[in-house]
Amino acid sequence: MKHLLAFAIALTFAGATLAAQGSNETVAGPKGTDKPTRITMWYNATQTEVGPLPNDWVGYQILKDKFNIELDAQTLPSSTTDQDMKVQAASAADDLPDFFVASREVWLRLVKNGMVGDVTDLYGRMPNRTRLMFDDDAKAFVTVDGRQYGFATPSKITNNEGLVIRQDWLDKLGLKAPTTTDELLDVMRAFTFKDPDGNGKNDTYGYGAFVELNTYEEYPGRRFEPLMGAFGVDGTWDMSKASFGLNINKPEFYDFMVFMKRMIDEGLIDPNWMAYKKDDFRGAWKQGKFGIMREQNAALNAQNNYAPFDANFPDGSWTVIDPVKGPKGKASVGPAVRGLRIWCISQKALDAGKGPKIADMFEWMAHGEGYLLCGWGREGVEYQMKDGIPVSMPGEKGFEGPVGQTYIQLRSMAFNYASDMELVSRYPVYTTATSHKQMSALWTLREMQKRHWTNANGEDSMPVPSTDLKTFYEQGLAEFLTGKRTLDKSNWDAFLKQFNDMGGKAWEEEGRKYAEANNYLY
Amino acid sequence: MAKKQNSLKPQTSAVVKLSKADHAFSIGVDIIMAFFLIVIAIPLWSTIMLSLRPSTFIGSYLQGMVLPPWKWSFAAYRSLLGNNGFLLAFWNSVRILIGGVACALVLNIPLAYGLSVRGLPGKKWLTILIVIPYVFNVGMVPTYIMVAKFGLTNHLASVYLPVAINTYNLLIMRSFFEGIPNELRESASIDGCNEVQTLIRIILPLSKAIILTIGLFYGVNFWNNYFNPMLYLSKDYLRPLPILLRNILIGASMNEFVEARAFSDAPVEAIKAASVFMSAIPMVIAYPFIQKYFTKGTLLGSVKG
Repeated sequence: MKHLLAFAIALTFAGATLAAQGSNETVAGPKGTDKPTRITMWYNATQTEVGPLPNDWVGYQILKDKFNIELDAQTLPSSTTDQDMKVQAASAADDLPDFFVASREVWLRLVKNGMVGDVTDLYGRMPNRTRLMFDDDAKAFVTVDGRQYGFATPSKITNNEGLVIRQDWLDKLGLKAPTTTDELLDVMRAFTFKDPDGNGKNDTYGYGAFVELNTYEEYPGRRFEPLMGAFGVDGTWDMSKASFGLNINKPEFYDFMVFMKRMIDEGLIDPNWMAYKKDDFRGAWKQGKFGIMREQNAALNAQNNYAPFDANFPDGSWTVIDPVKGPKGKASVGPAVRGLRIWCISQKALDAGKGPKIADMFEWMAHGEGYLLCGWGREGVEYQMKDGIPVSMPGEKGFEGPVGQTYIQLRSMAFNYASDMELVSRYPVYTTATSHKQMSALWTLREMQKRHWTNANGEDSMPVPSTDLKTFYEQGLAEFLTGKRTLDKSNWDAFLKQFNDMGGKAWEEEGRKYAEANNYLY
Repeated sequence: MAKKQNSLKPQTSAVVKLSKADHAFSIGVDIIMAFFLIVIAIPLWSTIMLSLRPSTFIGSYLQGMVLPPWKWSFAAYRSLLGNNGFLLAFWNSVRILIGGVACALVLNIPLAYGLSVRGLPGKKWLTILIVIPYVFNVGMVPTYIMVAKFGLTNHLASVYLPVAINTYNLLIMRSFFEGIPNELRESASIDGCNEVQTLIRIILPLSKAIILTIGLFYGVNFWNNYFNPMLYLSKDYLRPLPILLRNILIGASMNEFVEARAFSDAPVEAIKAASVFMSAIPMVIAYPFIQKYFTKGTLLGSVKG
């Protein structure tokens, strides 16, 4: 009996396997037959929260009728970290889809492992997309040994952030917008100590920010870049041929640190800047806690985002200003990067002869019928044309409504994020609920794009430091700014020496080689 | 003699007089328990109040925690419940929960029972085999390969089957079964029961506490599991609640990138809090029903384990 029990336990293990029936079949149309080519695609949904692309999306039928393609579109997880993890796990199991999007780091690994294919010859099949999106920089972004292993498409509107100031506070205090770092200090002092909101309380600050970093950004992050730009050290890297290197190693970085320490010591910055997360920061400016910041155009002035501020301060207004000039006359909002994402075709799909079909589909999405369908849906259902601009139909079926939004989930595959049609449609003019002002996030965007940005093409794909080095960098700067370490020249030099000895110099050299190899230096 | 025997009986009717030290101890325990209650209640209350915060709210975090009911906003809940995929995701989560708990119990009970039987041939080696992956986790990629090779990707079973046997839970269950007097099994055997009949007719009725407790452990795990669905379920219609909630959170955090009237009038923080609260509701409902078995189940297992 006990032997039988031992056998039963073994059977339990086997049962677990047998119970796990399922299928994950991805069938390709055989070469030279009329059978449709099935393309499995992992894509970034435009708005992950509203639900997947519906099964009755007419694009499926059009692709079948026009190109004999059976598209199986599946959304990737919403966070890029999860996307990377999923793609890498699938590649390890040789289970990659035919066509998918990947970060450059993951893409490079896949290229080295032979998991994604050489698509150089497919660019010729996509004349419109190539004209709109694939300039030399975009091609360089996906080039390895002179061949292209993917399509680098824009993923966002560039230069859409800016230095903004509370115009109503300036007016109330009889001040002008600052143009230099000295004037900036004066305005920040006035905003902090002269009760700009007139509530009789000492509850406002000059500058507001939080530590916002991504993989390629270093401390203290992008919210301080207009200040760093005044000293010519905005961004992690200086991407110019003449003075390439890590900005932290430049003498001007020390000057910036002194400036920022002064802001902190005088109490001119919202003291929660180290603790704030993005939501807290945005909640704080909507509650009128500070009067100067770097913010994104739509986060500032899109209807939903502006509404709480409008309700709280009907007479309040934010104005985009030029980044202030530093002692040497330098000024910049921050480093300008392209934010490209890479679409890859798996080697397996290329071997199965799916490459041309995928290119045809990708081209279809970039112009004409496919472009409109992916970008705004069906005319008369999800959008209507007004003066050549697609405008959302009213109600929930319009492309701005909760149902209509699901039909434009492939928008990111179609958009070039620069055309007037896209931007005017994306940021319509509206009237605010409380103050009844006419506003548009597009006006703000145009103002922001006019300002001076530092050329930093490729910075968002540069080598990243080791975790230890990154921690040392961040902690060191935080300690200087909080006063835990005295900020003077000798301490700063000692910190930099230690930083470079523990890998900073090697990181810089690695960056130089990478930037030269990818033609990123200007 | 009789008097002596009486003195050994417990004096149930006598009023126990507590000393000052006992009183002090009792008050101390009360204070500590009250402290723990506050520690637990504050975040819960804070989450609920945050989920009801209107987008026009202005004030400190503490002020937000005592917001009067006439200022509450249910916009965050409307956003969640009005989401197209919410019901489908909820249904997928329920399917994973039911399938997962059933699968886990069906696999764990016979295995734990088998391992609890004295004199089972190869018992030591079987136990070692089971403990090895508990100590040395094989990692994500080998697990993914295994799931893919078994054809489990894009199947709800991929969420629970790879983790259907949790070594820790299994050992607790085995210890519980070991604690059941062997005489009962022997009696059943004398009465003509084989091991399967003994398990079903004798052991299982005595093991309600551990089955419900371990079932709850598995249920919570499957309900909250984000990683496995993220990795193994690519088909959108299979996505469970944790995936949808994360999508909503990330979508809400990025709402500056979307159209002007997109998604919701609720503040991002309120949507986050509402999603946390809503995802916890089924487990919050289940706990009181299982609680009475909970202490017994875990305690018995742990003492023997």
